[in-house]
This record gives sequence, structure tokens and C-alpha cells, in this order.
Amino acid sequence: MYKVTIGLEVHCEVKTNSKNFSSAKNAYSEYPNENVSVVDLGLPGILPVANKEAFRKSLLMALALNCKTPDIVMFDRKNYYYPDLPKGYQITQETKPVGVNGYVMINVDGEDKKIGINNIHLEEDTASLDHFKDYSLIDYNRAGVPLLETVTEPCMHSSTEAIAFLEALKGIFLYTGVSEARTDKGQMRVDVNISLSKDDTLGTRTEMKNINSFNSVRLAIETEIKRQKEVLENGGVILQETRRFDEDTLTTHSLRSKVDAVDYKYYIEPNIPPIKITDEWIDEIKSEIPMLQFDRINKYMEVYGLSRYDSEILVKDKAVSDYFEECVFIGCNPKSISNWITTSVLGYLNKNELDIKDLSLTPKMLCELIDMVDNNKISSKQSKEVFSKCLEENKEPNIVVKELGLTQITDDKTIRDIVTKLLDERPDLIEDHRKGKNTFDYFVGQVMKETRGKANPVLTRDIINEEMEKR
Amino acid sequence: MVTKENLKDYAAKLMFDMDDEGYERTLKEFETVEKHMELIGKIENIKSVEPLVFPYVIYHANFREDEAKDSLTTDEVLANAKDTKADQVKVPKVVGE
Amino acid sequence: MKTIMDLRKDLDEKKVTSDELFKIAIEKAHTYQDEFNSFVTIMDKKEEKESNSLLSGIPYALKDNFSTKGILTTASSNILKDYVPVYDSTAYKKLKDAGAVLVGKTVLDELAMGGTGTTGHTGIVRNPWNKNREIGGSSAGSAAAVALGIVPFSIGSDTGDSIRKPAAFGGLVGFKPTYGRISRYGLFAFASSLDHVGCFARCVRDAAIVTDILKGQDEKDMTSLPNEDIKYTDVIDNDIKGMKLFYIKEITDKTLYKDAGEETLKILDKFKETIEECKKLGFTVDEVSFDDNLLKALYPTYITISSAEATSNNSNLTGIPFGPRGEGGSINEIMFDARTKGFSELIKRRFILGSYILQRENQERLFKNALRLRHIIVDKMNELYKTYDAMILPASGGVAPFFDNEIDRMSDRYLILENHMVIGNFGGFPSITIPNGFVDDMPIGINITGKAFDDAKVLNIANKIEDKLGYKGLIKEEYDV
Repeated sequence: MYKVTIGLEVHCEVKTNSKNFSSAKNAYSEYPNENVSVVDLGLPGILPVANKEAFRKSLLMALALNCKTPDIVMFDRKNYYYPDLPKGYQITQETKPVGVNGYVMINVDGEDKKIGINNIHLEEDTASLDHFKDYSLIDYNRAGVPLLETVTEPCMHSSTEAIAFLEALKGIFLYTGVSEARTDKGQMRVDVNISLSKDDTLGTRTEMKNINSFNSVRLAIETEIKRQKEVLENGGVILQETRRFDEDTLTTHSLRSKVDAVDYKYYIEPNIPPIKITDEWIDEIKSEIPMLQFDRINKYMEVYGLSRYDSEILVKDKAVSDYFEECVFIGCNPKSISNWITTSVLGYLNKNELDIKDLSLTPKMLCELIDMVDNNKISSKQSKEVFSKCLEENKEPNIVVKELGLTQITDDKTIRDIVTKLLDERPDLIEDHRKGKNTFDYFVGQVMKETRGKANPVLTRDIINEEMEKR
Repeated sequence: MVTKENLKDYAAKLMFDMDDEGYERTLKEFETVEKHMELIGKIENIKSVEPLVFPYVIYHANFREDEAKDSLTTDEVLANAKDTKADQVKVPKVVGE
Repeated sequence: MKTIMDLRKDLDEKKVTSDELFKIAIEKAHTYQDEFNSFVTIMDKKEEKESNSLLSGIPYALKDNFSTKGILTTASSNILKDYVPVYDSTAYKKLKDAGAVLVGKTVLDELAMGGTGTTGHTGIVRNPWNKNREIGGSSAGSAAAVALGIVPFSIGSDTGDSIRKPAAFGGLVGFKPTYGRISRYGLFAFASSLDHVGCFARCVRDAAIVTDILKGQDEKDMTSLPNEDIKYTDVIDNDIKGMKLFYIKEITDKTLYKDAGEETLKILDKFKETIEECKKLGFTVDEVSFDDNLLKALYPTYITISSAEATSNNSNLTGIPFGPRGEGGSINEIMFDARTKGFSELIKRRFILGSYILQRENQERLFKNALRLRHIIVDKMNELYKTYDAMILPASGGVAPFFDNEIDRMSDRYLILENHMVIGNFGGFPSITIPNGFVDDMPIGINITGKAFDDAKVLNIANKIEDKLGYKGLIKEEYDV
């Protein structure tokens, strides 16, 4: 048996108005080369000017990952030649990353696990290359977009753990608003390091770069584990190298070996002077970190008694989770709310491809609706109709209930009067009932008919029972 | 000790080449610089000194506010590129990564 | 020869128009171009922007490593030989807004890396005082353009002494203020932590006028200093009584120059005479001793730091988004070809050295040690500045050298005398060279370097010494037309 060890490097674009070191717009664009400044193009004489918001969001992320933050802002140059890197160097953080020595909690198959974060650093994205049959085209729109790279410790041991970590990390990006983390737009890209060993010492690792979806990450990991296992079992050795994952054939192949590894000649970027990161700033940023998915799940399970399954559904989207928590805050029963959200609300949103932000039904309204059911004002069946009507017509539940005339009759006297009248009309059926024939349901049906279904069914049955006994 | 072959390799990594005499001359320069830097290495307590990256302690630097402006027009972006296509810079096919 | 203030007066009194000044400057520029090669580009059209500034309507020349929108900017290198920028450097923009009139872009040593004015892609720049001699560099054309009387001032950049040395060789004032005082935005980077913007002028007052226009915080340069609320021209006549100057014994003591030529000894004598003049002016002047090992390390430290930074700064020159496209079938081949053809050997040698210095296994021993030495020297200077207002030294160990001068002047001692002005770049200190008369019919200079942020004081001291020495508005007789 081999022990698998996996480390991940995750690149994620930071959501800002402008780029990391220039004032060009940071936005996805269909048109090439329209969000480009002289700085992004690396023209002679340009100077980088660091974006405060990009740095603030990076600190926010570092703190959310439980990292230690530096005392000053510092960037370094990473020097290499590639056509997507116009300056011939990338501004990144080597000396003082925005965060070091952090961790992320994940849960795999019901078990909690701590994933160590070696460091998280802020850098700039490269231009994008589009490849054609015999040429490539360069679009500089992406050049200079702020990019956060999260580097884990080599501490994961299966593709399942790796994916769980990526999901957790993505969740933190989304919860903190640091990034939209859309893999389909290339905003989140993953480098995977894998090694196999028979004991606790780490084996030789290989690296696969720039994998664009979590599913591909899973496939790449499994493919590479299989390859390394085969090599080792046949008495071969693993070479330290960069490999490329081919998703079509489910194979990996060597790109370059360690011997060819580039010396990036890192040195401190001389155009960005140190800026002090004050304790006040850190405290202010800390106070902006919301409770994250992992903690919310535990809270929902422990405090509200929800299942892990339901809790995980609720926290998937922060807005949904916030909606849920507001309902609980209003005083609604957490279990009822959870049932409503995980079934009706999410069902409606999915069906109509909407965000919970677009939902006209506020937490307060949903709570009202649930209260009506819990207090027997309307039936559970009626509540679904009210829910749909509220959303279709953009109205409050109590108004819909009134318009539909749905309010249940829960008044004892009203129902008792009807029951008495009905029993008076059909003494024969009371007789049949005594003989053991089921005429009870007939009277229930009649009450419902008379009240057009509005009589509270439980109360109605109780009263019929009582009145029949009396006779 | 640095050899001419090393220098050729360094040059290749910097994406250029030069003639043989150039490398010979570089080699001589290297010797001078190494000799001088050896002296610097011998200066007392040099290792205990913090490397000075900026001329003086800069207190005044500030971040830029996150405001989008200053983009070039696409024509300006491409103005100095020698080969373009579809509003992009055209280069021979990039293979690799 | 007329100073900026003289021309200002003529313009204000309508004795001459700015159009006429521009025309005269352009004519002179063309007249002297073949002989002296000051310019890469001479303007054919006058920029029409007027203002109330002292520089409105005054012609000037700009070193060809400042980005000028729509105007060829080559850095005197083949790799940029047809590069037309799409943006303005802050220095150029400020001058344009002040109404100063650009006459041309001046030749430099290729990519500003050199001190001879002989390595630009359009040929060597000659010294107006003697055509067979260098004007020095790297701001060679900017120095020559003022020394020829084409313009009353010009803009240069200074990474080691690239303004202050040619100023000495050309009989000019050359000033680089404190690092960050003038924005570097749009100045083609050589070594970012040492690069300064500065100017050449005929007198200290003119240098103050130009610096008043150029200085100021720039949102595009994070290292630029906050604005001061003084004008240098207002303070340069302040009383200097009681101010204390020092010079370094190990650099100026004649007895240490046993093998030196006559010329160097004359320069040192002249320096001592000037020190006596300074004392007469009311300065206290002390001789101080400086650790010789540190002085010997100045030049290697400079070469180490500047080459390393230069290698990285010029990695953008690949001929892809701009610059001449290399030939070849693959992306690497075209970059390789563009760079192989685009740089001269001298530049390549510096780059190889710089990349070696930055290599992982050498950084500690080479790059970091150089930065440590830089720290020691800057600390030592700041220690002295606690007692003294400024340092005063000869700007050079000789007069402008002949082009074919291959004689060995590279003794350790001479190297220090020739290269000590890098101290001003190490600490970002304000530093000015002013003329100090003549040796062998060639101009020589003295250099005054003050504490960081003390630009006003340095200009004040220099102005007073200039007054006393009387070497103001120097120009060789035949160009004084």
C-alpha cells in the first residue's frame, strides 16, 4: 500500500474595480485589449501602483485562512520570459506574503480535518494566449488582474480530501466576497503536487499546473496516482518534474524536469515602498469576516439540531445561509425553516434560475407563512399554494391568504353549530355509526363542503366525535 | 568558477547571444567584480546589516484607491506591435504549458 | 550666455517671441548636429501651450529615455529604434503644462547604462569644449545641448552620476534632487532604486526654477515625495553663515595620489582653493576621514546593484508588444533574435552580470552584500549629516577624457575619485555639480551633496558658492551667439 500525499497551489482572481498595479478596469471582457493600461503592457518607464482594495481583500482572505499577516506591504519580482508576461517579470510576494502558517477546516465523510496553509500571496495575472493552427494571439485584458495564490502544506491524502479542500476554499472566497471564484471563467486555477511513499517520508513529487475545474483536478490526481503506483510497482523511480494532464486520454505526460527548473531570481520590487500594516487595519478587516461554512454547519447541527445533509445545503450559498439565519433570528422554528428552504425555496430558485437575492419573499414573510401553518391557520397543503402565489404576484402571505379566503375556521362554536345541524338532519347515520358502520367521514366531508374546506380538519374531527358521543 | 559555457547559458536564459570575444570580455569583468565583492564580503559585521533596498526609509507611500480609469484604446495597445490580428498581438504559435 | 531668467525677461519685455526662441534653438540644433550629435530627434513643430510659469516659452531638451506621447523615444538603443510611446512621462507632462518648449530628444548611452556618451545607437556625442573629448554620460546629449547654447536647460536622468559628471565635463550646473522629489513615471528604468530625474542648467538659480516645476508627488509613482510648500528659488539666496561643510580626506588628499597625472593633481589643488573660498564665504569646512574599505567598495557596489536591477527592468524588451520584431519560427526564437540584435555587447555584458548577481546561489554573497554595503555607507553619511549641512568634493578626477583614451587610470584611488558621486544615489541624497573653473582649458566641477530632503539647502549652498566663484553661464566663446 502506498501513502498518497497531495499539496495544492490555487490561483484565484480577486474581485476589484481596477487591476493590481494599474488603474485599468478589472473586468472580464469579450473584446480583446480594451482593459489595458501602459502598466499592464509593460511599456518602458511604467511604474506599479498598488491597489488598496486588492491588498485589503488579500488580508481579509489571509485572516479567514487563519494566517499570520505581515507588518508591512512588500512585493517581489519573479523574473522569467514568457509571451504572456509583458514586463518580463511578475510582481508577486516572496519575502512577506500577505499570510503564512494558516489552516482551513474541512469535513470528509463526517470527520473534521485541518488542512495547513503554507502561505497565501498576492500577485498579478498574465495576459491570455489564444492558440490557432500556426500562430497564437495575445490579449492583455487579463494582464495585471490581482491574483491570490494559496499554497497548502502537502497534507492531503486522497482526491476526495483535495476536492473537499477546494470546495471549502472556494466557499471562503465566496463568503468573504474576495473573489467570484468561477472556474468556468478561469478565475480559479489549480496546481497539484503528488507523491507516493511506503512510509512517512515524502516520496518524489510531480506537479501538474493550471487545472481548470474541480472535476479535472480529481481526475488528474487519480490518473497520476495510478501512474506513479505502476512505476513504483515495476521497480521504477518517480522523477521530480512538471507533467501535463490530458483529460481526453486520462494520462499525464512529462513537460520538463527539475533540472530545467527556472531560477526566478526573486528580489524585492523597488518601486513599491513598504507601507505599514497597522493593527487597527487588521482589526477592522477581521471584523468584516463573516462566520464561514465550516462553523455554520457545526452551529446548525449542534444548536438547531439539523442534519449535516441539510446544513450543508443551507450553507452552500452564503445568501441562502444568511436568509436562513435571519428567519431563525426572527423567531421561526429552525427545523421548519430549514425544511422550507431546502425544499420549496431552493426548488423555486433552481427552477427559475434565480438567486435568493431575487426572492420577493422576505425572511419575515416566510416566517409568517410558516407560523400560519404551525398555528393551524392554514393547512400545509394551502401553504404551498400561498407560497407560489406570493412569488407569482409579489404579495405578502397574509394578503394572499385573505384574497384566496383561505383562513381556516378554528372557531369551536362555528364548527360545532354546523356539526349539530348536520347531526340533526341525519339521525339515521348516527344510528349506523353506533352499529359499527363508518359514517364519521361522511360528516367530516359535509363540514368541509359547508365551509368550503376552511374548517380546521383536526378540530372538526374532534367536535364530530364529541357531538356523536353526546347523542 | 564561472566558465564561458556558463556565461553562454546565462545569456541564453536572458534570451540573447553574442560573439565569442564578448564572452571573453564578460569573463574578465566577472573576475573583477568577484574580486571586489570578495572584499565587500570581508567587511566587518557585514552579515549583521540589513540590505538597503530603498534609498531611505519611506514613510509617505500610499496605496492607490481602487478606481478604474487610464485604459488605453485598443489601437494604442497595438500601436507598437509589429504583427497583429483581430485586435490582438500575433506571435508564432506558443507551445508548452 | 543667456540664462532662463535672461530669456524670461526678454520674452516678458517682448524683445523676442517664444516662436523666435524655438526657431533659433532648432536652427542651432541642426547646425551642430553632425558635429556633436546631441539629438536623436529634433522637433519640427513647436508645442503650443502657454502658462504663467517662468518656463513658459523657454526651449529645452529632453533625454531620449523619457516617454513622450507621439514622439520617437529610443533610449539610444536599437531595440527601441522606432518606438513611439503612447503616454507622457510626468516630467515631460509637467514641462509641457508649464509652457516649456521641447526642442528635441537627446542622445544617451544605450539605455542610460554608461558614462561616456559613446554607446548610443546613433553615434557618439562630442564635448563642445573640445571635439576630441567625451562629454560624459549617460545624459550626454542633454549636457552637450546646453553646453552648445542650443537650450538654456535640459532634462537628464542620474543613476550613478549621469547628470553630475557630464555637467562637470561641460562646465554646467547639474542637479539631481532627493530620490522621489521628481516623479520617475515615464523615465525608462535603468536601476529603479538608484534612478533620479534631474536637470542641466547654466546656473544654480535656473536649476532651482526647473526643479520647482518638476517636483511634486505623483500618484503614478509610489516613491514620489509629498509636496513641500516652498519654492527653491525663494530660498537659494538665504544666508549660509554658520553652515558646515565637510570633504573626505581619503578622496581629496594629494599625497595619496602618487601615481596620478598632472591633471588630477591640478584638479585637487583647484578643489582646495575653492574650499578656501567657501571659508571666506562664511562656511565652516572640515576634513573628515572615511573608512577606505567602504570607499573602495563604492564602485563595485554600484555595479552590482545597478546591473542586477537593470537586467530585470529591461526584460520587457522582447519585441513582442513593442519594439522591432525578431525573426524566427518559434516564440523563443523571435524574442532571442530581437534581443540579440537589439542590444550592444556592452549592455549584454551588464545583463549577464546582473542576472548572475541575482541567481539564487549568488544573491546572498553578491546582491545582498552590495545592498548591505549600501546601507553602511548611507548610515555613515547620515551620521555625518548630523554635524554637517553638506559634503563637498571634486566632481571628477580628471577633465573630460579623450575618445581614444585607453590609458590605465583605473588605480583603486582614482576609481574612488572618479565614482564617489554614486553615494548620492545610494542614499537618494540631493546632489549638485557646479563649475569650478578650468584645468588645461577644460571645465571642471565640484559636487555638493546634502542630506535626503534637504534640496533647498543644497541649492542654497551651491548658489552661494557659485556667486563667489563666478563661474556662471559658462560657454565656449564660439558658441556664445
